Amino acid sequence: MKTRREILQGLIVSIGGSSLLTACDGFAKIAPTVDGELRFYSSEEIELVTKISDLIIPRTDTPGASDVNVSGFLDGLMAEWANAETRENHHRDIKRIGGQLGDSFRELDEQDAKNKLANLDTRAYAADRPDEYSAYRSLKGLITQAYFASEEGRLLEQQWVAVPGRWNPRVEI
Amino acid sequence: MTDFDAIVVGSGMSGGWSAKELCERGLKVLVLERGPEIKPDRDYVDQLPPWEEKNLDRIAQEEIDKHYFKQYPGVAYAVKESNKHFWVKDDDHPYETVEGTDYDWLRGYHTAGRSIMWSRQSYRMGPQDFTANKDEGVAVDWPVRYDEIKPWYDYVEEFAGVAGNLDGLEQLPDGVYQPGFELTDAEKLFKTKVESSFPGRNVIQARVAHLTNPTDEQRELGRTNCQARNRCHFGCAFKAYFSSLHATLPAAERTGNMTLVHNAIVQSLEYDPEQNRLTGVRIVDAETNEHRFYSSRLVFLNASPIASAMILLQSKSETFPNGLANTSDQVGRNLMDHISGAGANGLIHGFENQKIFGRRPGGIYIPRYANITEKDKPYSRGFGYQGGASPLGNAGGQIPGIGREFKEAHKSPGPWRISIGAFGEQLPNPNNRVTLHPNKTDKWNNPIALFNVSYGENEHIMLQEANKDAAAMLEAAGCTNINSNTVNLTVPGNRIHEMGSARMGNDPDTSVLNRWCQAHDVPNLFVTDGSFMTSAACQNPSISYMAFTARACDHAMKLMQENII
Repeated sequence: MKTRREILQGLIVSIGGSSLLTACDGFAKIAPTVDGELRFYSSEEIELVTKISDLIIPRTDTPGASDVNVSGFLDGLMAEWANAETRENHHRDIKRIGGQLGDSFRELDEQDAKNKLANLDTRAYAADRPDEYSAYRSLKGLITQAYFASEEGRLLEQQWVAVPGRWNPRVEI
Repeated sequence: MTDFDAIVVGSGMSGGWSAKELCERGLKVLVLERGPEIKPDRDYVDQLPPWEEKNLDRIAQEEIDKHYFKQYPGVAYAVKESNKHFWVKDDDHPYETVEGTDYDWLRGYHTAGRSIMWSRQSYRMGPQDFTANKDEGVAVDWPVRYDEIKPWYDYVEEFAGVAGNLDGLEQLPDGVYQPGFELTDAEKLFKTKVESSFPGRNVIQARVAHLTNPTDEQRELGRTNCQARNRCHFGCAFKAYFSSLHATLPAAERTGNMTLVHNAIVQSLEYDPEQNRLTGVRIVDAETNEHRFYSSRLVFLNASPIASAMILLQSKSETFPNGLANTSDQVGRNLMDHISGAGANGLIHGFENQKIFGRRPGGIYIPRYANITEKDKPYSRGFGYQGGASPLGNAGGQIPGIGREFKEAHKSPGPWRISIGAFGEQLPNPNNRVTLHPNKTDKWNNPIALFNVSYGENEHIMLQEANKDAAAMLEAAGCTNINSNTVNLTVPGNRIHEMGSARMGNDPDTSVLNRWCQAHDVPNLFVTDGSFMTSAACQNPSISYMAFTARACDHAMKLMQENII
């Protein structure tokens, strides 16, 4: 079985990220699962989750989802936090999302994969929030929470300040 | 000769005050805390950054099912993986409810009790709250009026430190305040709209027990300004919010008169019928199961209204076969909490070019108006709302889009949302009570609590009306996307404002305590946690417990000096 690190290294290249594998050394910022065997996802599942997470939160001038090890974090979250029912539901969610994206999704290049996922996202966030896409919305929520709980997401993206020291109710943008 | 001049049972919100006041008056005081010691340097987790929190700071689901099956659902916003040691494990500290009823007994057993986890909202009771029972013929009359307790509110607010504004409202008297946390512009708009559309209603700053301009005494105790971090449920390295651990216990400690013993579970208070006095306290050590007895001239019960009532009920004797100081049969009865589950939220417009800096500890408060400035209500008493307006943000990922644009969207403060939620008054009812379970005990062989508490018609009607009022105020402020809850009354106990289990009153036949929180039946017993509350009012009660405790200590000292006790 491939380790999560091996899978991620392949994925970062496959979706167009420059190699920058040194960034992987900083993976563990939020991850219970670092190097070693996956504890929850199958290799196919983490491949899908990683690809989706990097399309939702790509590397820009700040790190992307893989750079902070979002999928590894979710693997650990499901292994450590979730109970049997939640784990079963999450497996089912991943399977459902995979089905909605189609078997070819894993092989699509970055642009085609992005288009495919954007299409799913549009349907999932239609005004009536259809139930059939609740699995995707749930995964997107977890990916986003995990990313913004990371040091990079919290500090670089959200400009989080640990000790504000004062309250200002009015900051003009 | 006794081991101590006074024993204080409980080190929490009111116990800390008992310890401070009695120690500062020169008494040798033993404080008994049933839980282990909390050391801020070791046990606070307020400085843990989000990325070091395990599993998004969520407690494992199986662990919740095993250990926190009441605590977590009851107060999920505050019980996290990193601070779960502040909350009791339900399987270690069981209780039961009478069939068809429910009760949330949400607790922290450790130094300073729940004063390190409270929400710090601090509002005085108003003159109307002390006369409501008498005016309406409900329960018994308070033996105290606002003017009598006012100087004690002043006294405890000065020491504790409360941030707030002077608003000049008769029903919610002003106090001794440090500078408050300014309202956001959206809240100011809401205030203007509500106050013009509903004359007699007011929107004010929340009053919170946080330091914003510490006094010399507060600085001497190592306390400093609130840093606007909103990490209060995890402790506070700055000691900026009031807790026993930050303020009263250190003040008692520095006198050299306090002995604080942890893991001491009080099993009974010992009574001498010849002297008609308590002689001391029997405890079991939670760690070693060792039984000990401490003697004293005076006992202050500050174990919290449920635990204090249970200690009294456990302390049976020939003189008091139904429990100590219980000739009125009111111990454990009239158990009250506040009621929530009504409110509204919506988007408030015109502030898209603003954001906030810092995370303040409190937002807005709408003081009670029902049956004060508006008399047309189909219910008695009333409620206040707590809430606030702030940018909604985009965290949580539940907005459309993927990729760079989705990522960038999270830098935007997003639309502004305002929300308000009601805290209403529960009427005293002698049938709402806690008793000793007839045949179940905990692992220290103490009877477990058995609750039988339910809401009456007034509470149900009040919250329905609070829901309508909330939506109407948001509409008046021009809000859109208004969500008004389907009223779902909180489980009794869920607001963690337990009150009334040993009420005060003028008549020993119908009340447990006199106007000084002193037991009618036993002169050297004082109960100054929320047990004494004759009615609940609708304000968060901790500041009232502090004021009544300080007043009771002053009175007890006078009685000791006169050798009456």
